[in-house]
Amino acid sequence: MTDQPLLSVKDLHTQFRTDEGIIKAVDGVSFDIKRGETVAIVGESGSGKSITAMSILGLIPNPPGEIVSGEILFEGKDLIQASESELRNIRGNDISMIFQEPMTSLNPSLTIGKQLAEPIVVHTKLNWKEALKKAIGFLGKVQIADAENRIKEHPHQFSGGMRQRVMIAMGLGCEPKLIIADEPTTALDVTVQAQILELLKDLTRNNDTSLLLITHDLGVVARYAERVNVMYAGRIVESGSVMDVFHNPQHPYTKGLLASIPRMDQDAGDKLVPIIGSPPDLSMLPTGCAFHPRCPVKTEECTRAVPPLKKVGPYHHKACWING
Amino acid sequence: MVEISKHNQKKMDPLLSVKNLKVHFPIRKPSLFGGESLSVKAVDGITFDLRSGETVGLVGESGCGKSTTGLAILRMLNVSEGDINFDGENISNFSPSQMRPIRKSMQMIFQDPFASLNPRMKVRDLVGEPLIAHNMTTNKADYVEQVDQLLDMVGLNPKMAKRYPHEFSGGQRQRIGIARAVAVRPKLIICDEPVSALDVSIQAQVINLLEELQDTIGMAYLFIAHDLAVVRHISDRVAVMYLGRIVEVATRDELYNNPKHPYTQSLLKAIPVPDPKLEASRAHFALQGEVPSPLNPPTGCHFHPRCPNATDICRSVSPVLGKIEAGHTVSCHLFETTNLSMNTDQGQVIQNDKKVPERGVA
Repeated sequence: MTDQPLLSVKDLHTQFRTDEGIIKAVDGVSFDIKRGETVAIVGESGSGKSITAMSILGLIPNPPGEIVSGEILFEGKDLIQASESELRNIRGNDISMIFQEPMTSLNPSLTIGKQLAEPIVVHTKLNWKEALKKAIGFLGKVQIADAENRIKEHPHQFSGGMRQRVMIAMGLGCEPKLIIADEPTTALDVTVQAQILELLKDLTRNNDTSLLLITHDLGVVARYAERVNVMYAGRIVESGSVMDVFHNPQHPYTKGLLASIPRMDQDAGDKLVPIIGSPPDLSMLPTGCAFHPRCPVKTEECTRAVPPLKKVGPYHHKACWING
Repeated sequence: MVEISKHNQKKMDPLLSVKNLKVHFPIRKPSLFGGESLSVKAVDGITFDLRSGETVGLVGESGCGKSTTGLAILRMLNVSEGDINFDGENISNFSPSQMRPIRKSMQMIFQDPFASLNPRMKVRDLVGEPLIAHNMTTNKADYVEQVDQLLDMVGLNPKMAKRYPHEFSGGQRQRIGIARAVAVRPKLIICDEPVSALDVSIQAQVINLLEELQDTIGMAYLFIAHDLAVVRHISDRVAVMYLGRIVEVATRDELYNNPKHPYTQSLLKAIPVPDPKLEASRAHFALQGEVPSPLNPPTGCHFHPRCPNATDICRSVSPVLGKIEAGHTVSCHLFETTNLSMNTDQGQVIQNDKKVPERGVA
């Protein structure tokens, strides 16, 4: 595991210009993903987790958004400096994305087969006929029965879970090295969520594909990820192996989150300990550490300066002024 | 089935008793030339009780009929068949005007705190509206005082009463919705996914508030949700629905520690727990298939196409909800149950066995 990471995000800053001023949606985020590894980004709405993903793929709408500084190194190549045609080549070929909404991310007026074959035609030298044949194979891989006939159908004839399978098939189409899955199962039912995540796990492990899993569900992180980055108000506040972060959380936000959720593995009668207040408005961030207004252990220092991400264990980091 | 929960010292009669409730939505009538009529059987014969002060969780995946059940109890939907006895009256065929006074005792908290509040009304009027609708206030000063008290009760500063909903965060808006519901001191609140639209760090605040209010006011909750961890936390008893029917009802601990129905079991196995050590040791197994359309449900037991243990009888005969032990009923052919059904129809009947509870406070 000493070779260079597949993806290395360094001090990424992504901002949006709005009527309320500049919104620092991603404010100095750094993390790595190794080959074959599953890394999660967890955070609540507005924490910047999806914007981080969109920045990697160069999908930030400009204007109003802009990557102001930082590096996104994919196999050593900086994607921020890449031209649009280079990026297009990487998207789909090397990196693909699975979105949250399987209902809206498919085109309702095209057949499933056409939508699956299109990226294959665009990214490989295969013709439509061959691409369609390949598409049938992909549908089989994501466990859709009767694929020969189902590629002739339209998205509305597929259920939510099946549509997400199609999205995964599409994402796997060009055998990418990295899959970015942004809340891939949030819109799905619990039993279907389990199917989709198990499928993603099998497919990525079998092909040594890396997975960046973006979610707000701590249970999903614990089950499927090896490492996790906890985001709050545009910054990573804690990162480490899932074991470190869940069993030895260091940042007060991570501790607070783990204490506030009702858990199936604890006594049902235990009172929940909520985090006071609510996530901050990114256009009016508090000074210093963004979490300090909600932090039970804050000190004077927390209101003055933003804490850097510091090492607290071999692979465990936190951004907090409080020691211990 | 009788369990005494923390507030239920006075009455043994259930506050709410739903018997063989069916809510069907017709989508096609037979034409002049024949053809079959077609309807979506959103709720297809469910029976359960809810006692004063008790919290019953109603869980299931989308489309299982849990929200429809809630709306039918509130009589915001028409009942196709069956009885809803609330506080001694059968309200299943009440007209809207007959329902008006009943709604003083039966309120609702909605899922979406952004869509459920009128953006043009100030918080004071939003929270005070039910007081006026039910003639619970005499003059302006009393009205303002009552509203301020309510805001205080749900953890909002009464000074905010002159603001509009858009000035509040999601969690605060849900508090406004809760203040509206408790304003008339109802006996029952139907909570339809009250925390699922909120950020993770906010959910605990709202769950704790609901528990505190129940302690002070003593109303019962019908807590409809898909999040089994939240339901486990707040409920005294839990009913699991699948495709319009109840498949299992038990006390909270019994259901989560000793689930019987294959659907309940797979549902519990499917939820990831935020504990990597535990997850690493758990067998991950995903239930196959998806929930079929309620337009054309499977024959026999609705769950049989996805059930790992289905047999021939499951494919042909609808199982009946029956008791396996005190406080635990299940609708599954795999179990020898004491058939409690006296109603011949669907057989989806739970009967109370008047036994004194063993379980203490939640």
